[in-house]
Amino acid sequence: MFNKLNRYSLVLVVLALLLTMVVTVSAQDGMTICFGFQDLETEFWVAGHKAITETLRGQGIEVLEYNANENPDRQLEQVRECIAQGVDGIIIIPQDGDSAVTIIGEAQAADIPIAVFNRPPNDRSKGITVVADNVSATEQAVEFIAQKALAKWEATGTPIKPLIVVGALQDTNAIGRREGFFNVINRYNEKYPGMFAEPIEVASEWDAATALANLEAAITANPDVDFLYTSSDFLFPTIRSVLEPRGKWVPMGDKNHVLMAGLDGDATACMLIEQGYVDATGVQNLFYEAELTMNRLLQAIEEGDTQPNEVLLDPGFALTAGNFIWQSDDMWGCKLYREGFLDQ
Amino acid sequence: MSTIDERLTPTVSLAPATPVETAPRRAARPVLGFLQRVLLSDYFILYLTIIFFVVASASFPTLSAPGNISNQLSNMWPLLAVAVGQTFVLILGGIDLSQTSIMAITSVVGALFITQTLDAPTFDKSPLWGTLISDKGGILAGNPNAVLIGVIVMLLLGTLIGLWNGFAITRFKMAPFMVTLVSMIFFSALALWLTASRNVSGLPEDFLLLGKGDIVSVYFGPKLTPEIARRDILPLITYPFMIAVGLAVAGQFILSRTVFGRQMFSIGTNRRASEVSGVPGSRVIMLVYAFSGFCAAVSAILYSARLEIGRPSLGDGLLMDIVGAAVIGGTSLFGGKGSIKGTFFGVAFFVLLLNILNAMKLSPFVIDATKGIVILIAALLDITRTRLINREARS
Repeated sequence: MFNKLNRYSLVLVVLALLLTMVVTVSAQDGMTICFGFQDLETEFWVAGHKAITETLRGQGIEVLEYNANENPDRQLEQVRECIAQGVDGIIIIPQDGDSAVTIIGEAQAADIPIAVFNRPPNDRSKGITVVADNVSATEQAVEFIAQKALAKWEATGTPIKPLIVVGALQDTNAIGRREGFFNVINRYNEKYPGMFAEPIEVASEWDAATALANLEAAITANPDVDFLYTSSDFLFPTIRSVLEPRGKWVPMGDKNHVLMAGLDGDATACMLIEQGYVDATGVQNLFYEAELTMNRLLQAIEEGDTQPNEVLLDPGFALTAGNFIWQSDDMWGCKLYREGFLDQ
Repeated sequence: MSTIDERLTPTVSLAPATPVETAPRRAARPVLGFLQRVLLSDYFILYLTIIFFVVASASFPTLSAPGNISNQLSNMWPLLAVAVGQTFVLILGGIDLSQTSIMAITSVVGALFITQTLDAPTFDKSPLWGTLISDKGGILAGNPNAVLIGVIVMLLLGTLIGLWNGFAITRFKMAPFMVTLVSMIFFSALALWLTASRNVSGLPEDFLLLGKGDIVSVYFGPKLTPEIARRDILPLITYPFMIAVGLAVAGQFILSRTVFGRQMFSIGTNRRASEVSGVPGSRVIMLVYAFSGFCAAVSAILYSARLEIGRPSLGDGLLMDIVGAAVIGGTSLFGGKGSIKGTFFGVAFFVLLLNILNAMKLSPFVIDATKGIVILIAALLDITRTRLINREARS
């Protein structure tokens, strides 16, 4: 039964629908790129976000930014929103490799070219994937501290106790970094049996609080850890807060120094290598990756290629205490560090 | 708004089923009276949503684009499914904090049963490796009825967890907040443990249809080219729509047309008085929490299917949206009041709000803060509405 108010509702619904049909969406004259990312909690993502958005806007391209705040389902909704708005191309930093596959499929089904920046999908056959060679960059960084560990082991005869802080293993970056670490450990153990004890794995899930809790527990149980690799440089402050009260956060040359390496090449890592607390870090060439992503996507848009499928690799390199003087200028984090990024 | 049935609980104070139409003061002040009628109307949130939509569309024309509307509708269905269950619990005067963890655990358990491939280096740390799962996939991989059985397992699991919540609340006289909080923590952790924190992919195509399959698609606009671009073909009636709306209709029917529904309102208003009047309080509470778990499992099916993965953290951060949609829809946090119709409007409002906030390019932190403020305003409005209803009832 319709009362007065129900009739008002009906009229309002009909009016709204009519308005929907009457309103025409004006076609955008310029190019629009949708940029969906997860969070900007670490220096790497802040710098990556800045590099992509500023470069695109510098070219007169409108950028629609969407932050999914670590929720892949929300990112899927946001990408659908971008598709509904008729964007020309999409760049995403996905939460994990699995959801990336779904999101790429969604964009390609709508004939919109999509590129994935730095966090690759599990199936790399679809979309443009720009990714660092995590295995290689990790191996280079861990190799540097493994050589130092070898010298220590030969001098003392005590097995080195390694620890790895792993990322969220849904992320292929985290898997690659773990693989690189174990490649080096296994290689040395084959060549020098007994050099390394069984590595301790600490889960971080790419979350500083989780890393802190798990690392506290691991170091309490294994106070003799003397070889540490973190899958991301953003965890160095967390590592410091665990090691410092135990007298193990000391620079190279001190007998309590823990051999330490990371990966990313951020400003904090640059500073810590300079100060001697950290020995090496695998560097992702952030600016190069951002440029690769944008150039390939814009090329696909220009060519009318709606489903470009290509993997573009950033080989990466290791910045170590040994090559710091002449190679630190190549690391994005050192550029930020010298620009006063950490003073902000 | 549905309210308590007078015949069942004559001892509790009653609100009228419809606003009183003949207040003399209203006749003297027609504008104020009209506004009051609108505020007290079951359709208040619908009016607000429509006005919001029309005004925002003027500033952000893409909001009213057919593609965007179709997209926002598809965002509504999984949220509606889980909000239906929460509405039931809120009507009882309870709250179900465990819904998001039920979504997570049912998502991964269902996915682990039906997945067709599993990567050994990724999953060999799962406690289920070698028993229920292997490198050949889940135990139902290759079974022609895998999807059906998987879905049943998910629904059963969700219902059983909800039943456990209800049992603990009634049997041990524990606060719903505490019981469901513990369930939330426990089942979230269990989901992570079972999957060793990994997503479960490789789900069968038939299952994915449940999250994104179209039944009727439409195209708006002139046919200028021989081929219509895929992006312009919009889903209108989808499987998630059918499932969520079917669940909502069933929920509304239970609330408004069954004795069980009336018993729920009665308990939500005054449990003790209801039980004195012969309402089986414990049984009703247990069944309502079981239904809440069931709805969370339905939502997990829709979310997992559209994301194409079983996800151990599925539903993280969604609780505010679920409770918010129900509260905005007029469901009282104090119990005894609410409707699925209102929750439907609340979900529509919430999805639209998010759409507009995204269009305004605000940061997620501002968006979450705004959502919180909107829920607060809705709760305050609920108090105002209740006062107005009580005042009119007295006059």
